Amino acid sequence: MKFSLAWLRDHLDGDTPADELAAKLTAAGMNVELREPATPIDASGNSLPASVGGSGGHLRREGGGVAQGPPEPDEIWDVDVTANRPDAMNHRGLAREGAAAGCGALKPLPSGVTEGAAKAGDLAKVTVEDAAGCPRYCARVVRGVTIAPSPAWLAERLERCGVRPVNNVVDATNYVLLDVGQPLHAFDLARLAGHEIRVRRARAGERITTLDGVERTLNADDLVIADASRAVGIAGVMGGANSEISDATRDVLIESATFDPRRVRATARRLGLKTEASHRFERGSDRAMARTAADLAAELIARLAGGEVAAGVLDSNPEMPAPREIAFSLARLSAFVGCAIPSEFAVKVLAALELAPRVAGDIVTCTVPPWRMDLELAEDLYEEVLRLFGYEKVPSVLPSAAAKPGRRLGSWPLTERARDALAGVGAAEAFTYSFVSEAAEAAAAGSPLAERGGIVAVANPLSARMAVMRRSLLAGLAEAAGGNLRRGAESVLLGEVGRVFFARDGAVAEEERLALALAGSVGDWDAVRAADFLDLKGVVEAVLSELGVTATEWRPASAAVLAAGEGAEVGQNGRVIAVAGRFADAAAALDLPAPVWVAEIDLTAAATAAHVPAFEPLPRFPAVAADLTVRHKLALHYAELVAAVTAAGPAWLESVSPVVRYRGEGVAPDEVKTTVRLIYRHPERSLTQDEVNAAHFALMDRLGRELAVSFS
Amino acid sequence: MATEPLERAREEFLAALAGAGRDAARIEAVRVRFAGRRSGLLRDLEEALKALPRETKPAYGKALNELKKLVEERLAAAQAKAEAASHSQQALDVTLPGRRPRIGALHPVTLVRREIEEIFLRMGYSVADGPEAEDDWHNFEALNFPPDHPARDSQDTFFLAGGRVLRTHTSPVQIRTMETTPPPIRVVIPGRVYRCDSDLRHSPMFHQVEGLVVDEGITFANLKATLEAFVHVLFDPLLSVRFRPSFFPFTEPSAEVDITCVLCLGKGCPMCSGSGWIEILGAGMVDPRVLRACKLDPERYSGFAFGCGLDRVALLKYRLPDLRLLFSGDERLLRQFEGVAR
Repeated sequence: MKFSLAWLRDHLDGDTPADELAAKLTAAGMNVELREPATPIDASGNSLPASVGGSGGHLRREGGGVAQGPPEPDEIWDVDVTANRPDAMNHRGLAREGAAAGCGALKPLPSGVTEGAAKAGDLAKVTVEDAAGCPRYCARVVRGVTIAPSPAWLAERLERCGVRPVNNVVDATNYVLLDVGQPLHAFDLARLAGHEIRVRRARAGERITTLDGVERTLNADDLVIADASRAVGIAGVMGGANSEISDATRDVLIESATFDPRRVRATARRLGLKTEASHRFERGSDRAMARTAADLAAELIARLAGGEVAAGVLDSNPEMPAPREIAFSLARLSAFVGCAIPSEFAVKVLAALELAPRVAGDIVTCTVPPWRMDLELAEDLYEEVLRLFGYEKVPSVLPSAAAKPGRRLGSWPLTERARDALAGVGAAEAFTYSFVSEAAEAAAAGSPLAERGGIVAVANPLSARMAVMRRSLLAGLAEAAGGNLRRGAESVLLGEVGRVFFARDGAVAEEERLALALAGSVGDWDAVRAADFLDLKGVVEAVLSELGVTATEWRPASAAVLAAGEGAEVGQNGRVIAVAGRFADAAAALDLPAPVWVAEIDLTAAATAAHVPAFEPLPRFPAVAADLTVRHKLALHYAELVAAVTAAGPAWLESVSPVVRYRGEGVAPDEVKTTVRLIYRHPERSLTQDEVNAAHFALMDRLGRELAVSFS
Repeated sequence: MATEPLERAREEFLAALAGAGRDAARIEAVRVRFAGRRSGLLRDLEEALKALPRETKPAYGKALNELKKLVEERLAAAQAKAEAASHSQQALDVTLPGRRPRIGALHPVTLVRREIEEIFLRMGYSVADGPEAEDDWHNFEALNFPPDHPARDSQDTFFLAGGRVLRTHTSPVQIRTMETTPPPIRVVIPGRVYRCDSDLRHSPMFHQVEGLVVDEGITFANLKATLEAFVHVLFDPLLSVRFRPSFFPFTEPSAEVDITCVLCLGKGCPMCSGSGWIEILGAGMVDPRVLRACKLDPERYSGFAFGCGLDRVALLKYRLPDLRLLFSGDERLLRQFEGVAR
């Protein structure tokens, strides 16, 4: 929020240098973020060489206030006033903070209004029908005004605080708002039917055109300011066009009221209408100030626009509720902070904040003024004392040593291991958005992993690209791989570990996934070739084995997310824990420029499958290797071949591994020649060549009988 | 026997040549020693022929010729081998790039997250997690954001069907921790969070880490020391740390924590808007209302909490210009983090 330094000084006695004031306000929690110089100006709009006071705000008391010496140039301060402090969102409130921080004393507000003979009660009437929605409504009447532009000093002050000047009456209400924080509204009294104000609930469907020219439809929870026949304003939000001040206005009714913050907020939000008034009323306003501000505004209007203030205030509820009392122990305050806070200091700052501290032994009792709605508990007062004491004066003391070592909880051990596995196979870890477009979601659907629940939609997405929560990491990662290819990458290997979201049993279920995307080439400079399925499979197997998962079954997959004939699902104990293959992108939603090989692993399932290694004795006897070339139909999968070879071999056939696959000349189109290497090793003795030969030929014999294969 | 010196010379020659291996210079030295025209051993042996009695001359001469031939042949062969070896050594150009296996790279946000977790693990904190799709109680109400309260405005919440929200901070895990774990509590909570906001400095998805300590006798002085220790380890032990009063609904008193701008070291630059300070953490003493919401007695327990944006720390540490780059999946960026200690 913007403040004028000169205006702050209207409320502060003393001449604390600007730098010190800014630094002390910042240290007290009113962060002065930006300071810009501004030239002082006089009544005629010229820059003012010697005297600010005479033409300054009406609040200057010093009898015309001709200041001695050259004036301080004004500055515009941008101060970050936190949401809990609506009382400081005005010049007087911020000046009070300055005083509490040791920068002078807060000057008293002027009191008293020059009133004419006519009585306000004879000129207008105020009825509050919804006292819960409007705890206090004060109105004053000023008659015989002349609407004109505001004097330069006032217009300039408003502009420095970011408020556009309108005319002398409207500007006076805005000035008082920025001065003391009370939102006000000025009605053209002649345009109020029956010269009457009624504060009531809106009728369902009631319409009003607000000052911004927009017609708005209200409901019965909204509070309106009405005259005898119609709504003339939305309470706490914005006035109506039907009663606004115009050049022809002669008599003015000033509204200075307090409204229920929640009702104001609900209405402002529903209408999408955020105003200076609603911003303040939502955060709570000072009921006592409702009355004071009516006086200040009436006096200022009479000064600026002529006219006469009618006698008396139309006040719906002059009774103030009993103020809140909070007591705290000085010893506990010091214990809470971790260092001794002198009681004299605590009492001094609480007094400067107008909290009327009374000390009885160790206990300080405060009375909370009506503008400090944020103060409820002893801890709230600890904060008041501590922030003015200075956070920098508190010593730094580490808490005593922990009794227990820390560890990773929840899914962190699993996801961290998964990230290391990704990095271990050479992937670059990517973060893609947790929300995707509906088209991208559709492109990644059609997988046993993605269909474990319904889609969770975002009710208020930022864009259609972020419409639904992902059920699979594949769309985001494949799209990222596509982006890299389009930027000219020759070789892409991305990995991601993240959550997917399912609508399941009326709730949102979250699961951890790991995904990989491989595209372009594999290998390095003179050994480069296009990546294919087996490259992907190798990476997936390496990741799985880093996760401790070894015995997996790979089967051709019919999942729609993968291109037909180029995908597999990976099972473990009958459960699908991963899918891998070429990303189909059947609807071309991702517009991939080249094939992208992808895999997704259900980390939670993989974690249940993980095994802990147990020591196996190292071999003590030599191995004998023998190669075997088998010609067989393509329909016979390698895994089946290995299973058959293993079954046909002796118990001491240690392993079967692939050497080469050959298709082409001399092999029928539906056939393939597979060469495997068999390792024979007996755990308890050395094998002789004769017994290996005998076993090997017996194996071939049996294989030939059981499968349609040949050995040529 | 008269040819005995020849025999000895032959053996010496073969041994010397074998010792020279494929080293051309050493082979040359052997040649000079045995076959050098002026002082070679063969020349000496030839001289010796003249002094021999006539009957032994023919045998000696024959043996000498054989020896000469052997020396010549063997030297030539050794020189040829040496030359070939020297070519094959030149054929290997050790400055060619190796065939590298691909090196992995963790995401910069993962790197800073782990760095931060390690700092706190060493101080006895555990690392906790919780759901990203949260209920109103954990994301707001228990954290002292009453329904319809303006404090919720700052949270720019994404709503999901069924009344859930995408968590706007990792603070709900503070609540979940306090609801389930009796004090003493020391946890850090890193994780993904969401807010409806997007520009150069804001992403609708980003990452936070929060910390929570609850025990008997926890003081504001403890909070200060902990956060000072943290930023000194994370950035630089020489950085100044500044605590400013601020406001968060779930802490009282609250503080913003600034550090000396890591770019200009406090001189003032565009990154710190000329102030010389960078806001790095929000913190405060746990509000008694929050303790009470978690069924902890504020008369007995006190605590502090703090939080910071992981993405922002990554931007600061690695001097990245734009938050949204982090979520682009651009390998040109990601591969710059190959080989960063993890």
